[in-house]
Amino acid sequence: MKISGAYTLAVSRDRAFVLLQDPLVLARAMPGCESLERIGPDEYAMKMKMVLASMSGLFDGKVRIADSHPPASFRLIVEGKGKIGFMKGEGVLTLTESATAETPDAASASPACHIQYEGDVQVGGTIAAVGQRLLDTTSRLLIKRFFEKLSGEAASVSHFVA
Amino acid sequence: MATTISKPETLFGKRIRRQEDPRLITGTAVYLDDIKMPGMHHACIVRSPHAAAKIRAIDTAAAAGRPGVVAVFTAKDTGHLGAVPCAASLPGLRVPRHDLLARDRVYYVGHPVAVVVATDRYLARDAAEMVEVDYEPLPAVADPEKALAEGAPAVHPEWPGNVAFTFHQEGGNIEQAFSEAEVVVKQRITSQRLIPTALETRGVVADWRPGENSVTLFSSTQIPHLMRTLVAGILGMPENRLRVVTPEVGGGFGSKLNVYAEEALMAFISMRIQKPVKWVESRRENFTCTIHGRGHVDYFELAARRDGVMLGLKLKLIQDLGAYHQLLTPAIPTLSVLMMPGLYKFQNVSADIVGVFTNCVPTDAYRGAGRPEATHGIERMVDILAAELAMDPVEIRLKNFVGNDEFPYTTPTGLSYDSGNYAAPLRKALEQVDYPALRREQAQAREEGRLMGIGVSTYGEICAIGPSPSMPAGGWESATVKIEPTGKVTVLTGASPHGQGEETTFAQVVADELGVPMDDVLVVHGDTSVVQYGIGTFGSRGTAVGGAALFYALQDLKAKVKKFGAMLLDAPAVILSGGSCVDERTGKSVSFAEVAAAAYHAKRLPPATEPGLVSTHFWEPPNFTFPFGAHVVVSEVDRETGDIRIRRYVAVDDCGKIINPLLVDGQVHGGVAQGLGQALWEQAVYDENGQLITGELTDYALPKAHLMPWIESSHTETPSPVNPLGVKGVGEAGTIGCSPAVVNSVVDALSPLGVRHLDMPLTPEKIWKAIQGGQA
Repeated sequence: MKISGAYTLAVSRDRAFVLLQDPLVLARAMPGCESLERIGPDEYAMKMKMVLASMSGLFDGKVRIADSHPPASFRLIVEGKGKIGFMKGEGVLTLTESATAETPDAASASPACHIQYEGDVQVGGTIAAVGQRLLDTTSRLLIKRFFEKLSGEAASVSHFVA
Repeated sequence: MATTISKPETLFGKRIRRQEDPRLITGTAVYLDDIKMPGMHHACIVRSPHAAAKIRAIDTAAAAGRPGVVAVFTAKDTGHLGAVPCAASLPGLRVPRHDLLARDRVYYVGHPVAVVVATDRYLARDAAEMVEVDYEPLPAVADPEKALAEGAPAVHPEWPGNVAFTFHQEGGNIEQAFSEAEVVVKQRITSQRLIPTALETRGVVADWRPGENSVTLFSSTQIPHLMRTLVAGILGMPENRLRVVTPEVGGGFGSKLNVYAEEALMAFISMRIQKPVKWVESRRENFTCTIHGRGHVDYFELAARRDGVMLGLKLKLIQDLGAYHQLLTPAIPTLSVLMMPGLYKFQNVSADIVGVFTNCVPTDAYRGAGRPEATHGIERMVDILAAELAMDPVEIRLKNFVGNDEFPYTTPTGLSYDSGNYAAPLRKALEQVDYPALRREQAQAREEGRLMGIGVSTYGEICAIGPSPSMPAGGWESATVKIEPTGKVTVLTGASPHGQGEETTFAQVVADELGVPMDDVLVVHGDTSVVQYGIGTFGSRGTAVGGAALFYALQDLKAKVKKFGAMLLDAPAVILSGGSCVDERTGKSVSFAEVAAAAYHAKRLPPATEPGLVSTHFWEPPNFTFPFGAHVVVSEVDRETGDIRIRRYVAVDDCGKIINPLLVDGQVHGGVAQGLGQALWEQAVYDENGQLITGELTDYALPKAHLMPWIESSHTETPSPVNPLGVKGVGEAGTIGCSPAVVNSVVDALSPLGVRHLDMPLTPEKIWKAIQGGQA
């Protein structure tokens, strides 16, 4: 299944790129992520709880970053398997400087980063047999939640830094 | 001298309620999962989530250490056992070895990889999730036409190209037919993959009894005896040390006309752990691991004259076989070819089958097995030809039917149609719906912009399967009739009825022949240690072959009863009447019970007669039977939503003589439900990676009660000369007649928009798109 979309984070592009590769931040932002551990350069082991349709289960997987072009783009490769099947996803995230963030406080111009993602998700086993019809909407929902959380992280982190 | 006893009323032809029903509807019947045994363990099967992958390693340690787990088995343990059998043979057929558990590679989602055995079903299930299988995923192919394309992934690496077999059959002179044709119509027609979805999933209980050196295997199957022979072969054990018992079967439809890995696996496991073991398939397993049906892509070409006389039919048939051959997988499309001429008398046919491996669960027999595909093809083609020639679809059929005086009729595919009156059910159905009035109504509806359709299908099918030369393991059936010392009658049938109601119809036949009350008759089936060898129930054969065996066994027994009766009455001869032997000269009689007691007590014996009253008959049918019929569907399509409403469903089926019209109606209703399922809703969908994405009842649209139309079922009766009962079989007729009638009706409704053909299932989305396309 093809997925694509975009989100705008209220931080600079450099900052967004760093956030997107920070295991601690990612672990907090990824819905259902129970742990994310660095196991090599640009490679992390992940435990993630996934809920789809009538099923839920723990996935054991790997997250890998490749073709990294800071701060403009990188490729994210996620692979996981669990009791309810397996999933594989691969996509390219492209970051561009955006004029302003869409904040209620639009008057005060702040840096923003536009993140465009495009990729492919494949699932197998029970999760495919039972959940395929919900995969599209569920993926969108999870990605949206991820960016919302990331947004929150960005805000709190920048606050802390400030 | 007149006898004092009047001829009793016969039960043949009576609407009698099923003897089996009280236990089935009160929850007192015993199904596989009701079986419980002391010390019984439970198995859970670890299955591949990949359609194609190499197995790099299997780590069972974590699972084996879980509470309650007694053993975990992989191909390392079962590799010495035989393979899952394919009984069908075709010239040049490629038969991949179908191991009980995958060795180093998996070929479809659901492929069994390991078995976890525990003291409790849930512990087994939990532990199964701890088995670590390291897969290296490989490219997969799920679509048969894509599997044939250049560069497609090879399902079995040894056979790139994915062709399992090709098969050619022709009759007459097809080239001449096409060169003389004034019109040729061509159409690609699919019969989609279907999931049989019996209410009761499969299940096996194996009970190894070391003291007896034997295994009792309980299995929800249609073929207990064949299963015994084949499973004994897989295990390498003497067949007489394996007993197969079939409890109540909650639906088979062909999906239990098979021998699966689980039967041999459970027997093996029970022997290894020295305990009884049970495995019951989950619904999700049933979707991915039990055979599917259909899976055809058919390219038809029909040659005809402008006056509507059909001359010849060409077919290129692509059969999606799945990853392996199950018991009859490659044989199913050959049945389609046999029946491709339908009821029509053109004598020129040519068919080419390509059997294709795909990374999917195997296809095999599913209600109709090959005949629905054939009937759907020819009946759609006749309608397409009628549209091309602007002829009435009824008129073109009547013009091409085999005539009543042409039976036995030899088809260009080599069959001999036993008897028929093909116009009779069609005329009866049309009369019932008032066809001319319907066409007038349709014309009016079209003027109003409404989409109303009238669809006809006139089907023929091949039943009472079948003479042994055409079958892999015999096509006869057996019956033993025992008159017990008290006069009660026990029938042991080699058929294995599972919903068809032979406990009732066979009791009717016995009651009529012996003159005993039906309640005195017990019909026993499905236990290989009780019943003499039999073939089983499938292919509408239970009554048409098994019933005939019963009839002949009864004739032998009647002769013996009369000998004892004559002896007791000191008469030269007696007749059987009203449950007694009667001396017609004197009117004196002895009851059945008296005769039975005499036969067993054996104080005196008639000359050259053994004690006891038992007779066994193995009956070999001289031919198949060929039922036929006409289904008429009146439909209306919602222009805005594409939704289809079936306004009338009229089925006139000719299945020969009818023993019990109530049961025949039941078979027609069930058959039509499954035909409607294919026509309108059901489709097994694999994605391009070989993942089954219709893996649950929320995604696989089975017909539900509220979606069913009222079925107006009636019959014509053309007796079969093949068997003494004159019956033909009706288990599959409803399904076979249904789908083309529905599609013909809907295409007829949409024809003003230029729609010529639609493939099943006719979902509202598909119809809506056709309407949009037609209007554009």
